[in-house]
Amino acid sequence: MKIFKSIKWRLQLWYGLILVVVLAGFGFTAYQLQRNRQFRQVDDGIHQRIGILANNLHRPPLRPGNGDGSGVNQFGNRQPPEDQFPQDQFSNDRPPQFQRRSQVFHLAPENARLFDTNDINGFFFRISRLVENDRTIIAQSENYRQPQPVLEYDHYFDQLNHFDFPDRKKLVSPKTIAAGDDQIVIETLPSGEAIEVGCSLKPMRAELRNAALHLAGVGGLILLVGLFGGWWFVGRALRPISEISATAVKISAGDLSQRISAAETESELGQLAAVLNSTFARLETAFAQQKQFASDAAHELRTPVTVILTQTQTALNRERDAASYKQTVEACQRAAQRMRKLIESLLALARFDAGQEVLRRTDFDFSETIADCAELVQPLADERAVKISVAVEPVKITGDAERLAQVVTNLLTNAIQYNQPAGEVRVQLASQNGLAVLTVTDTGQGIAPADLPLVFGRFYRADQSRTGASNAGLGLAITKAIVEAHGGTIEVASEENAGTTFTVRLPI
Amino acid sequence: MRILIVEDEPDLLASLAQALREEGYAVDTADNGDDGLFNAEGTDYDAIVLDVMLPGMDGWEVLKRLRKTKKTPVLMLTARDQTRDRVKGLDTGADDYVVKPFDLDEVFARLRAIIRRSANKTTNIIEIGDVKVDAAARIVSLKNKPVELTAREYSLVEFMALHRGEVVTRTQLYEHLFDENEDSFSNLLDVHVSNVRKKLGAEFIATRRGHGYCIE
Repeated sequence: MKIFKSIKWRLQLWYGLILVVVLAGFGFTAYQLQRNRQFRQVDDGIHQRIGILANNLHRPPLRPGNGDGSGVNQFGNRQPPEDQFPQDQFSNDRPPQFQRRSQVFHLAPENARLFDTNDINGFFFRISRLVENDRTIIAQSENYRQPQPVLEYDHYFDQLNHFDFPDRKKLVSPKTIAAGDDQIVIETLPSGEAIEVGCSLKPMRAELRNAALHLAGVGGLILLVGLFGGWWFVGRALRPISEISATAVKISAGDLSQRISAAETESELGQLAAVLNSTFARLETAFAQQKQFASDAAHELRTPVTVILTQTQTALNRERDAASYKQTVEACQRAAQRMRKLIESLLALARFDAGQEVLRRTDFDFSETIADCAELVQPLADERAVKISVAVEPVKITGDAERLAQVVTNLLTNAIQYNQPAGEVRVQLASQNGLAVLTVTDTGQGIAPADLPLVFGRFYRADQSRTGASNAGLGLAITKAIVEAHGGTIEVASEENAGTTFTVRLPI
Repeated sequence: MRILIVEDEPDLLASLAQALREEGYAVDTADNGDDGLFNAEGTDYDAIVLDVMLPGMDGWEVLKRLRKTKKTPVLMLTARDQTRDRVKGLDTGADDYVVKPFDLDEVFARLRAIIRRSANKTTNIIEIGDVKVDAAARIVSLKNKPVELTAREYSLVEFMALHRGEVVTRTQLYEHLFDENEDSFSNLLDVHVSNVRKKLGAEFIATRRGHGYCIE
């Protein structure tokens, strides 16, 4: 689906998930802590009450005859006066055996407050005496109720009855039974009584439910705020990306002059925009150069084609003598030669550009190559009365001898063609710092400083008057390509009306 | 009709000149901008064929300077066929342009057209009484019958027809019918005129004594 491929949506999804997990973990922990606290409170309340009940049960006995005998239970505990005992706190409807055995249980008033018998959810208790295979209930609060279901409870008492103390204690005491909405703790005393205290868990559960709802509400709110904030932040952070892609779309549609408006250059995306912009600028330049190159190449091819067309059309207009046909054929041949040379140059440049030109490297003495080339261009030099002086020392280099000879010939031909009549061309070769350094100096008119950076450009001609000649202005471009393919450099220095020096440095 | 060709590629210049001469034009040539401008300013050509890429002064510059003094129709030869080059050429004052490589027939047709336009004619056919001159086919007919004329005679008739009603001087005729290389005798023109009169009727070309000739 498209929506899951959008970075914005994926980010939103991921941090939404993370936020949910964190909030859920946090909420769960908070809920658990609250729950444990509540249970502990209930437990503490129950155990505290058990302790109080046990204390009330084991008050030291009063001397017989010191009071009403009926006020003394079998432990000799002093009975508080009957009227002190709030009627509403205790059941009047005591079991018969309770009364029969004079096992009256009285609770101190300050402790009686702990059991609100009217409150169905309050604490309740029951105290029973365990006798063999039986138990007698000594006292119980009005709101006492047996746990439902009673199975576990009965089973426990069955077990208790089968043991004598202290084995009972070993069984398990206190025993907590949670049944239905109630929780009851049964503690057996060494004296043989079992004290049960319980309370309803309903209020606690309600409170926990409230707490859970509260947590969920707060969590949901945080999640919502987080998602909205995140959406806004991500949108803001990703805005440069949409700008970049909009610009890229325009550029891919062919408008290379488009640039990304990089407002935030500080951020990573701003830097990316800057990098892309400079790439676009280079692309635009390269495209413009490529276009210019293609247009120049086409232009160079047009002239010879025009020559062939006009020559042949003129010749065919009427019957001619052999000499004039010969002239036409010769003119066509010249045009074809020119095109061949141009095409070869263009192909060579294209191969160098693509890095496909294979150099046939051999070890050879560069000075010999230079001497050969000087000899080769001698007729041209003679034609223009230009003197070539060669000062070379033997330098062994590794490279494509044929291609490097082309370099020397190109430079020499240029130096002769752009020289003044009776000028001089000086060729020097020396070994310097592990480089073979070739310099070709002429005494021509020189190159204007503004044109110096252009001389290695394609279709550059120092002199427009040579447009008719076979020189298409690719010679120096090819020379540079060859030198650079050998890992060398070529430089030009010129002084107007004094001469030009080309310096080629090749690794040995 | 006399035409100047300014073109630096020697083979192209030679074949263009030959072809135009064979079409009956008197042709002068120049192989650079400076010579071209010098010739163009010094002679009243019927048309100039001007290459854009020239050594020295380029075609644009020649055209610009020429337009200060002359209205000679100019046909530009250019290897650049982009719109901005065409616009530049036409704005600078060129009457038409041909993009290299071109067909000779196209060059001929465009030359005829700019010459015709400069003489304020809209068609290639001029009718003078019974005589009809078809400049496209280079045929002259009398009472709908083609008349055999030499190339020079045809040029004379065409030039006179284009300047119908004007008195054309002998100097003008010399300038437009012969190129700079021809060492013409002054009576050669009289011979051509008398031949034309024999073929098209004595009254076709009237002589204005002391001024020149005229076609009514």
